[in-house]
Amino acid sequence: MNTPEISQPELPNLVTLLEKALEGTPWAAYLALWENIIFSGIIAAIIVTVFWFSIRKRKMIPGRLQAAAELFVWALDDFVCGVMGPKGRRFVPFIGTLFIYIISMNLFGLIPLMKSSTSSWSVTLALALCVFVYVQYTGFKELGFFGYADALMEKPRGFIAFSVFIPLLMLFIHVVTELVKPITLSLRLRSNIWGDDMLLAVLANFGLGGVPLLLFSTFLVIIAAVVQAGVFCLLTTIYFALIILEKE
Amino acid sequence: MELLKMLSANELVAQIISFLILFFLLRAFAWKPILKVLDERGDHIASELKEIEEQKQAALKAKADFEGKLSSIEVVAKVKIQGMMEEAEKSAQRIKDDAQREAARIIIKAEANTKYEAVKAKEEIKDEVANLVLGAAELLLEEKVTSAQDKKLVNEFLDKLDRA
Repeated sequence: MNTPEISQPELPNLVTLLEKALEGTPWAAYLALWENIIFSGIIAAIIVTVFWFSIRKRKMIPGRLQAAAELFVWALDDFVCGVMGPKGRRFVPFIGTLFIYIISMNLFGLIPLMKSSTSSWSVTLALALCVFVYVQYTGFKELGFFGYADALMEKPRGFIAFSVFIPLLMLFIHVVTELVKPITLSLRLRSNIWGDDMLLAVLANFGLGGVPLLLFSTFLVIIAAVVQAGVFCLLTTIYFALIILEKE
Repeated sequence: MELLKMLSANELVAQIISFLILFFLLRAFAWKPILKVLDERGDHIASELKEIEEQKQAALKAKADFEGKLSSIEVVAKVKIQGMMEEAEKSAQRIKDDAQREAARIIIKAEANTKYEAVKAKEEIKDEVANLVLGAAELLLEEKVTSAQDKKLVNEFLDKLDRA
């Protein structure tokens, strides 16, 4: 017995409209393929432009835009160093870029004719893989190959070390945990943002009667977008902190 | 497997590249310079606060020194004023005493002069009276006597008058 296919409600965006307009041409397929990347690229360009304008003329007494950029950087630095201590300073650019990128992509979908790229698992997994690679690189760099392996085996000493089985079991569990991290990290973000987008798309189809609910949901979606970006970055910070603490 | 169908290798790779480009760009021209500016400003503020604190301490010390000096100057000035007042009183007393002595001396001298002048005047009057008497006597008496004898007689007469 075939299960009925449930169509996913989706609000039209700039790329899908262009896609429809160019239907039948190679451009339409190209746009369909790179839809999320186009929006994430727009976000990246906006972030670079805003940062460039805010700090192109750096002064000891900042202007409004520079002050806003500095406030954001200071808040991120304070957050990361608060979790990891002074050694966390070198991870601030990475975690900060992740945060501004993810929160911008999350909120971008609220603008008419735009889309949240983070509703695509490919996009969030790409970010999670970057985190995974950087965390593993930091682990090997800080602890060394054997030191990291030792940490993954929960530092077996004495009888437990000679038992071999327990350290290997711990190593297996930790390796699986490490491999699962990018999947959970990316799926959590993707699913929340995708769910938010779906909610707004469904409510938008209610017509004028659904406007109050739509406005209320938009408020909730904004909170969820900020929280999800924060959760992603907080978990990333904790992954790095575990490595740093292991070394100490 | 259903889950994997949601993935697109093209999107995955493109997104990784896109994120890495953004990360390296922001790290190079945004994060590091801004963190550097924040550190510099923090150091600057800390050093300024330290300098202000030092200046404040120096000012408080200078104020305490000044107040100490001022109080010692006041004590010295008071002592000096007291000494000068005593000296002035002594000088005033000395001048007063001198003046009194001078006044007494002048009075004594004046009294002596007065007595001398009185005696002198008395003598002159006596001589004058004697001469007048003699003149009158000469006119009255026909007998001619020497001047020395006349004078002697008159003086004796006058002495008698004084004693009387």
